[in-house]
Amino acid sequence: MSVIQLARASKCFELHANRARSLQELVLSVVQRRSRREREYLWALRDVSFEIGRGETVALVGANGSGKSTCLKLLTRILEPTTGTVSVLGRISSLLELGAGFHPELTGRENIVLYGSVLGLGRREMAARFDEIVAFAELERFIDVPVKFYSSGMYVRLAFSTAISVDPEVLLVDEVLAVGDQSFQDKCLARIEQIKRSGVTIVLVSHSLETIRDLCDRAIWLDEGRLLEDGPTDAVIQSYLAHVYGEVEALAWMKRHTACDEADLGTDASQGPDEVEREALPLDESYPHRPEVLAARRRYGTGRATIDSVTIRDGEGIERDTLRAGEPFSIVIAYQAHERLESPGIGIAIHDDHGRHISGTNTLLSETEIAAIEGQGRIAYRARVLPLMPGNYYLSVALHSADEREAYDYFNLGYMFRVTLGDSVPHLGAVLIPAQWEWSGAAEEAGR
Amino acid sequence: MIRCLREVWGYRELIGNLVMRDLKVRYKNSVLGFLWSLLNPLLLMLVFTVVFTVMLPNYSVPSFPAFVLCGLLPWNFFTTSIMTSVTSISGSGHLVKKVYFPREVLTISNVLANFCNFLLALPVLFALMATFGIPFTAWLLYLPLIMMVELLFTLGVSLVLATLNVFYRDTAVIMEVLVQAWFFLTPVFYPIDLLPATAKVLGWTFPLRRALYIVNPMASIIASYRSILYGNVDGSQPTAPGWDFFLRTAITALLTFVIGYAVFRKHSSRFAEEV
Repeated sequence: MSVIQLARASKCFELHANRARSLQELVLSVVQRRSRREREYLWALRDVSFEIGRGETVALVGANGSGKSTCLKLLTRILEPTTGTVSVLGRISSLLELGAGFHPELTGRENIVLYGSVLGLGRREMAARFDEIVAFAELERFIDVPVKFYSSGMYVRLAFSTAISVDPEVLLVDEVLAVGDQSFQDKCLARIEQIKRSGVTIVLVSHSLETIRDLCDRAIWLDEGRLLEDGPTDAVIQSYLAHVYGEVEALAWMKRHTACDEADLGTDASQGPDEVEREALPLDESYPHRPEVLAARRRYGTGRATIDSVTIRDGEGIERDTLRAGEPFSIVIAYQAHERLESPGIGIAIHDDHGRHISGTNTLLSETEIAAIEGQGRIAYRARVLPLMPGNYYLSVALHSADEREAYDYFNLGYMFRVTLGDSVPHLGAVLIPAQWEWSGAAEEAGR
Repeated sequence: MIRCLREVWGYRELIGNLVMRDLKVRYKNSVLGFLWSLLNPLLLMLVFTVVFTVMLPNYSVPSFPAFVLCGLLPWNFFTTSIMTSVTSISGSGHLVKKVYFPREVLTISNVLANFCNFLLALPVLFALMATFGIPFTAWLLYLPLIMMVELLFTLGVSLVLATLNVFYRDTAVIMEVLVQAWFFLTPVFYPIDLLPATAKVLGWTFPLRRALYIVNPMASIIASYRSILYGNVDGSQPTAPGWDFFLRTAITALLTFVIGYAVFRKHSSRFAEEV
């Protein structure tokens, strides 16, 4: 039985370059008898039809401006379709923008009730859920404080907890999972997973293809307002990636995300029991980091040893943030062990700015013996040739235990450096191979 | 329209919460809180009293402060409601664009919050009347009826203005001027009997007093409040409002509401795109 049904739905926006925006302009245009110029239209959705059954979890994928958000807004009735029909059965809750209805002067408690009624829940129903909401948001101590004194993280936590607590039959989620710190994000995802299992129909928009793969059974790919593909998540993601980056990379992405990501660095990216999230140093904000990169960028560990600094140096040992392709370089890691740690592993990994794993190793894999570390120390990773093509790269650094089960300090995609073309021979492709051509005479001779 | 109103009824809880929000926010951050909202009409009353009894003493309206406040409170309810309703939709873009609910909820709750303020200010008026020895008569029972008529009229005007401001953002600016003019054209601080019954403009004679009542529903609404609360400027007891024109005003108010709501509904589906 289908809960959501779009039948040839289209949505057209009128672009307002020519329309009078004020009564003053309106009067002037009438007085001056200005002929009405051609109106401009933007078709945000064209002829989109799909049905979603009860209990399905469906993702909408597509580039910015492809109509995903318009589609969600049609489902919530915020917008009405220009042509075609949209029907949704049951109570809808939408996580389109968290905390939209909050008033800064009111306390958390008052805002929960207000937001609940915006979402269609009565005072009594909200009262019954109140404790659960507050507990989920971890805001017991601050619930009677006006939300204007909340940090942005607290604000978002409260909003998410409230929105998710209304027991929807249809849940619409738009890009809101990238909020709060990592542990709260995980908690949100877990909660959505739980809601999914309880049989709620979920429609999700996210740029994080990993999240989509984790949560959704089905994906719908929109491009410039048209529905291009509707099917199992993996198949649709693969066609979408192939469209954006090309076949080869699409396959590589699928493969990479099916297998474990960071085997060579040592510990698995998932956290062990005592490991805590650590504050990640800020990245250069002038560079447009990809959302996949930012999402994967995190620092965590038990803290028994910590990375003090990581420097990238040229052949002369001078600190650089830009290296020249084909020339010598080194990475120097200064660490501090807060207790004696027997045979630890120290690893690095390099990703390009699409988040693709280019290279990586650790001292255990390369059988570099480190008997024990205690107090401050340094380790260098040196190479005679930097085999990277010009571009931007991310460097991950990890300190972990010998059995790779405990991360002392793990900073995934923590640092960025650039590579420019040095005096080396120009190459095409992904890596620079430090090789020379040797031509050995005429063709028949070479053939022998 | 009935179906729409039923949907709005389903959101009564939200309306209630929004009204509470408005009132709480208004009174939360000032020590004097609610007193501030009384200060404005009281100060205005004082100014008019000084002007018309000390500076222009030949006006001679008995119990002038009560007379003025009697018109000022309903008038303030009307103007603050419409002036804040102008931006009730366009100023709530964050809500309108993100969550679905009948949009009129925002305008209605705004008007109702102002209505609550009006109610809270009434005891002051009663106290003033008592001070001046104006008797409370049985006609006072008609007060809720007149208030309902004013509420309907205010809602109608507010809904139209809220719609207009979504599409034309200078509505608020224009309304400031218009409200000013409207204030002087409404017998708030002068008795309508002061006006000549007929006036001659460009050689054409027309019944000014009647015209004012017909064109300006606020004039008859305020005259009705005066009639049951204050009485007449000749010092007579409060009486029944003039039923014929009160009925006409009630019908005008109802029509204003119906038309205003229809206009609002016709355009409300496009609000999310325009705010």
